[in-house]
Amino acid sequence: MMHCYLYLSIILFCLGIVGVVARRNVFTVFMSIELMLNAANLAFVTFARVHESMDGHVLAMMVMAVAAAEAALALAVVILLHKHKGKLDTNVFSLLKG
Amino acid sequence: MFADGLFIMFAVLAVLGAVGLVLFRHPMNGAMSFVVTLISLAGLYALLSAKLIFALQLIVYAGAIMSLIVFIIMFLNIQPDDLPKEETKLLYVLGGGILVVPIGLFLVKIVKSLPEHSTAIMGGNFGGVKEVGLLLFRDWLIPFEIVSLLLLVSLVGAVILAGKRGTTK
Repeated sequence: MMHCYLYLSIILFCLGIVGVVARRNVFTVFMSIELMLNAANLAFVTFARVHESMDGHVLAMMVMAVAAAEAALALAVVILLHKHKGKLDTNVFSLLKG
Repeated sequence: MFADGLFIMFAVLAVLGAVGLVLFRHPMNGAMSFVVTLISLAGLYALLSAKLIFALQLIVYAGAIMSLIVFIIMFLNIQPDDLPKEETKLLYVLGGGILVVPIGLFLVKIVKSLPEHSTAIMGGNFGGVKEVGLLLFRDWLIPFEIVSLLLLVSLVGAVILAGKRGTTK
């Protein structure tokens, strides 16, 4: 049964990578990153259950806190970029290009 | 047997929600299908006897973080014309899938090399609030404090970034 959980975690992680690579909408890219964090969380909790120690749960809580911080900062940046350009396309946001 | 059925249901729902997130054009549809993924992941945590993480996943992730994202999507008032035109989206998804297959196969090979283990529901307060809290404040105290610092920094940064009112213009 442990393998099934880990396979599911791999599938979700790969879907997150596909979302980041293939989509150009800022929000979809952002939520795909969150999906990858969740896949890592599932692996943490599975291994915590397998080894019957709760360190994995603590690590999953830390990942959730990092995801919350990332959400607050990323959304502030998205609002700023939307004010500047009026678009949500990642191809438009190439301000650092020389 | 019942737990296996629940696992299959939650796993199918999680994968369908993730596929919807990747394929829907409007970010609001994507956010709603991502909420389905998050809630079914909470069910999987409950099946793995992680009681505290189950509650936190529902309250913090599916509740707080997703409502923040949905709130910002509504705040920007996105019309269908504002969205990037992605005519070649399916081609890109296909290319990304081909790119990801070697990574996925590598990870599957790693998982296959691990010994199989039962994940039956555990009693004895495994993963309860008291046990995880004791561990958090005994062995993980310094990382916990560093996370609080990280949250403070991101809070101040978000206020400074989003709170500019035409002073630079």
